[in-house]
Amino acid sequence: MVLRLRERADLWTLLMPPTVWALHFLYCYVVAAIHCAKLGGISLTEPNAGQSFAPLGEVRLLVAAGTLVAWALIVIGARQAWRHWGSSLEDLPHDAATPEDRQSFLGFATLLLSGLSFVSVLFIALPAFLIQDCR
Amino acid sequence: MVKQENPAYGAWLLPWALAACDGPQSALDPAGHEAGLVAHLFWVMLVASGVIWLLVMGIAFYAARGRHTPWQPRRAGRFILVCGAIVPTLALAALLVFGLRLMPGLRAAGEGLRVAVQGEQFWWRVRYELPDGRAFATANEIRLPVGSRTEFLLTAQDVIHSFWVPNLGGKMDLIPGTTNRLVLEPTRTGTFRGVCAEFCGASHARMAFSVTVMEPSEFEAWAAAQIRPAAVGPVTGPGEGAALFLARGCAACHTVRGTGAAGRIGPDLTHLGGRETLAAGILPNTVANIDRFIRETREIKPGARMPSFGMLPEHESAAIAAWLGSLR
Amino acid sequence: MSTDEQDKALRREQEERLSRVWHTPPGWRYWSAVNNSEVGRWYTATAFAFFLFAGVLGLLMRAQLSVPENTLLPAGLYNQVFTLHGTAMMFLFAVPIFEAVAILILPTMLAARDLPFPRLSAFGYWCFLIGGVFVCGSIFFNAAPDGGWFMYPPLTTDPKLSGIGADIWLLGLSFIEVASIAAAVELIVGVLKCRPPGMRINTMPLYCWYVLIVGGMILFAFPPLIAGDILFELERLAGWPFFDPARGGDPLLWQHLFWIFGHPEVYIVFLPSIALLAMMVPTFARRPIVGYSWIVLAAVGTGFLSFGLWVHHMFTTGLPAISLGFFSAASEAVAIPTGVQIFVFVATMLAGRVVFSTPMLFAAGSLGIFVFGGLTGVMVAIAPFDWQAHDTYFVVAHLHYVLIGGMLMPLLAGAYYYVPLVMGRKLSDRLGRWVFWLMFCGFNIGFMPMHFTGLRGMPRRVFTYPGGIGWDWLNLISTVGAFIFASGLVLFTWDVLVGLRRRPYAPRNPWNAGTLEWLGPLPAPEYGVRSVPAIASRYPLWDQPDLMRDVDEGRCYLPDAEEGQRETMVTSVLDSHPVQCLRVPGNSFLPMICAVLVGASFIGTAFHFYWSSLVVGIAGMFAIMAWLWQGTAVIPEKDEKPVGLGLSLPLYVSGTKSVGWWAMFITLFGDMTAFASLVFSYFYFWTIHEVFPPRWPDGTPQGPGLLWPALAFCLLAGAWGAMLWARARNAAGSATGLRLGLAGAALLALGSASAMLWAPWQAGLTPTEHAYPASVWVLLGWAAAHLALGVVMQGYCLARSLGGKLTARWDIDIHNVVLYWHFAAVTGVVTLAVVALFPLLA
Repeated sequence: MVLRLRERADLWTLLMPPTVWALHFLYCYVVAAIHCAKLGGISLTEPNAGQSFAPLGEVRLLVAAGTLVAWALIVIGARQAWRHWGSSLEDLPHDAATPEDRQSFLGFATLLLSGLSFVSVLFIALPAFLIQDCR
Repeated sequence: MVKQENPAYGAWLLPWALAACDGPQSALDPAGHEAGLVAHLFWVMLVASGVIWLLVMGIAFYAARGRHTPWQPRRAGRFILVCGAIVPTLALAALLVFGLRLMPGLRAAGEGLRVAVQGEQFWWRVRYELPDGRAFATANEIRLPVGSRTEFLLTAQDVIHSFWVPNLGGKMDLIPGTTNRLVLEPTRTGTFRGVCAEFCGASHARMAFSVTVMEPSEFEAWAAAQIRPAAVGPVTGPGEGAALFLARGCAACHTVRGTGAAGRIGPDLTHLGGRETLAAGILPNTVANIDRFIRETREIKPGARMPSFGMLPEHESAAIAAWLGSLR
Repeated sequence: MSTDEQDKALRREQEERLSRVWHTPPGWRYWSAVNNSEVGRWYTATAFAFFLFAGVLGLLMRAQLSVPENTLLPAGLYNQVFTLHGTAMMFLFAVPIFEAVAILILPTMLAARDLPFPRLSAFGYWCFLIGGVFVCGSIFFNAAPDGGWFMYPPLTTDPKLSGIGADIWLLGLSFIEVASIAAAVELIVGVLKCRPPGMRINTMPLYCWYVLIVGGMILFAFPPLIAGDILFELERLAGWPFFDPARGGDPLLWQHLFWIFGHPEVYIVFLPSIALLAMMVPTFARRPIVGYSWIVLAAVGTGFLSFGLWVHHMFTTGLPAISLGFFSAASEAVAIPTGVQIFVFVATMLAGRVVFSTPMLFAAGSLGIFVFGGLTGVMVAIAPFDWQAHDTYFVVAHLHYVLIGGMLMPLLAGAYYYVPLVMGRKLSDRLGRWVFWLMFCGFNIGFMPMHFTGLRGMPRRVFTYPGGIGWDWLNLISTVGAFIFASGLVLFTWDVLVGLRRRPYAPRNPWNAGTLEWLGPLPAPEYGVRSVPAIASRYPLWDQPDLMRDVDEGRCYLPDAEEGQRETMVTSVLDSHPVQCLRVPGNSFLPMICAVLVGASFIGTAFHFYWSSLVVGIAGMFAIMAWLWQGTAVIPEKDEKPVGLGLSLPLYVSGTKSVGWWAMFITLFGDMTAFASLVFSYFYFWTIHEVFPPRWPDGTPQGPGLLWPALAFCLLAGAWGAMLWARARNAAGSATGLRLGLAGAALLALGSASAMLWAPWQAGLTPTEHAYPASVWVLLGWAAAHLALGVVMQGYCLARSLGGKLTARWDIDIHNVVLYWHFAAVTGVVTLAVVALFPLLA
């Protein structure tokens, strides 16, 4: 993929992967909450005899789709960060007071954040596939 | 630098782990399916945590003593990647999957018996709905048949409370305007203690209840007895108490089925004498304690709605107590 | 005279001038000081005093619980004591001490003479002091809040169940939260804009990274609580039923808003303490940190993930398992960056050779305790286990392990490390070991048994418990441990207050550290750094051998204060290129006066003195404007000044280059978070109601209609356009255009605000009837209040223009006010869209 967002790494590129995580999290929560509150047969105001519970239904599909989109965005961010980093582990710790090291440092830190965000997105998606219904 | 910590922790943990589990209100002394699953989960996590803690402390101790040859930064960097990032991620992922898979089983559907519990400051309004449609009201006491899943419908009247019987399973909040569900499946008979777990005001600490798990046949007999109105016989002593109960206004708040008392504000006292405890699980059920609670309500239970009836002549409160104690 | 002697004489003159300019006045005028070193000291001392106060409350609780059925404290008082213990520890100690320490040491780390807004720091301090004394003092009148530090309604909204204490909590703490946000803005701008030349983003000390992240977290975490406080007070004082289920509200909404604040708060107090360790560990490992980027990952990652945890405080409220699952997952995920943090320290120690010291002893103890607390945290993050552990002493034990291991112990390590920097002398190592072992053993004896007390069924927040169900001896041991722990703290306090004075001054850079805070002589002169060096390393004192000499001899930037003004350097965000020589305002009583007036207005509201509160509040607003008028956007006597080393920097920059613009931008981010919380509340009510908005008797959905909101929208668009036009006219040199634009915009804005409030009024929406009209009113009221504040700003600009302080060349004010108007316009438009268009979808 040749997606060039920014030539120069800055604080915004650094924050992109975790921001994607945050949006994905919010999205999953909202989708599930609305599904279960509006369609899930969980009435918060009436006693629920509760033998039957609404299955998650399209929640799984929506969460899966959202997760794929989030992963794609994180991978794009990571690719860009890789380019910004532009060196290998041998060149750490990027502590020289030069524009190159500043760029490499931001790239590397973003790359690490992409990894964390990628895994965290997976963590967040898991419940939708391990839990059956809205109870 | 972390010297003396490891043996200290280890030595403390062991006797506690062995001695500190049992009890009438212990989550580690399970008497129910749900509590059993969680206790098992706890022991697994405790052992894993102990191992992790010792490993981390061991590495830190080694690093901090400063007697090793300094590592190359590259090696230290790989150490962060593997021990700080990859291993914890895998361990946490495994735990998460384990925990999530546990959830559906802990929220299974009930098997017919339903108990509606409403939290009040500071007591429990309980209503049983038997599978065959019969129903009755009681208070501050739960009795359950062993071996079947009972569904609790939980709500509150005034403020948020939380319904918790540690030996049987996890807690669930009672929230005004909402009805929550909780399903518990006792696996052995016995008497346990439940409490309010969410701070609910001055006497939060004084809001408990007794839980008796019985054989299904005993439970059936108990339920049948509860459905009957109170046995108000023409006995001289206690009979006087019944009249005083009505005359002194107790009936404005309390119900005793079978008499004219039909108040809805306070707990139903129809079979008070047969309950395990008094005053929401805080006093042994004796006539003397009933008398004391009538006279010193707010000393025993600060902030209670019921005023202390210390102004009653002593023989009157004693008569009322004797009568209430006779209602089995 | 030789050149050498001339040099020396010049240097002496420079130092005298610097001393004179940065001098703190003696006598009663001392309290007008705004310099970071003074304010930071007051702040730290006050926060520590509140800590000791809350600690005494904790001991009272332990004494009461030592034996079953104890009667030392009556139930009512006990409930006040535990509420105030939690409240004071979190709001009056944990967060303020971060701000205090950062105000104290951040400028030294950045070789800055002060933070960019010293008077704002002072204002924040006075707010904190007034609010803190107000909240804590209430217990001496038996009027303290008694509903637990998270104040769950309906217990706390019902006036029959909770007295004035709830109002004291809400208003006192809202006031302090405002101060916290002010400090966060100050610190963020400080880190981004006040670094020394050459200290690029990849070479700044790790502490700065943490401050930056934590500041950002405060901006996103505190506003939801302020929004919640507003809803809460509206319910208590005006009967708007946000949390009353009988009228369409929901008590759970408060829990959401509180914990959206409350969980990040835990990390807000944890990260800054860990930041102190990140400064110490390299010093004592005698090498640069290994894994600088990993720390950045950990700090940023924790900052984000901590916002996805709030529902794990609500696992037992009956939410669907799938929702619990998401939060359970995030709660596990947040352990990853936390683990990384710890392993970075271990790796640094592995790659170096550790020199043992008292700060490291505390660091080690903190590691042992914190890792333990972290592991129990991983346990309670699993919802099924939490169903048992929630609201029991297990959680009490867990949170104290995390907070004392992750916050207090590192802070004490920091105290042993940084006291020489602040006081010039070292704390006693011998006593330090006693303090450590007393605290460490006392803590474990006190809190370890609580895990078992909790699992054996003891709920938290009980004023007593029955004997014989297995809690007696566990509680007694806990009480003994708590008192041992406290004795360690008493010893520490004695050493700070008394022992310290008896010792000689520490040598310069006593720990052989590599970072800039250790650059100067001890005790530190009032002006801070002698001259501002150019930095080329993460550990300049280790890597730049001539640095200390050059700085001392005034061979770097800003060695002098020729014009008798307080000055510091402002640089660019990423690469720290010099941008401006910033003149910061000097000592003044105005911040204190403003804090007193605003505080009095909050306190008056708590006691229902609405009219006098209004009057005092308006007086406070005028005081703030007086402060701004004479202290900000001051027109310098010349455009530029030489700052040394052949560099000449402007004295006045505006727009995105000015620190004020950044502060406004960052503040408005926080403001938008509060607004988003109110919008969230509106849609939250939608999810819990089958019919929302509720219907009029004729079956049509309630709502403010379309006409008046549409009019409000048009007027708002006009006001915003007029502001843009005014700024453009001003840039073109037309003062008349500026004034016309401002006046027109103000009229349009007032019209828009009036239409916003008229809309629900004419539609007959009564806020006390149902949560729906109440949320419509609160949204529109919020937007209208923002427009009204915008009008005040326009009036201020108009006055500045008429007073000749706002011109085409000197235009900071108009840029900042236009920035405000961008945000105000977004607030207004979103509000109107939500309240007017959403009923159409229903």
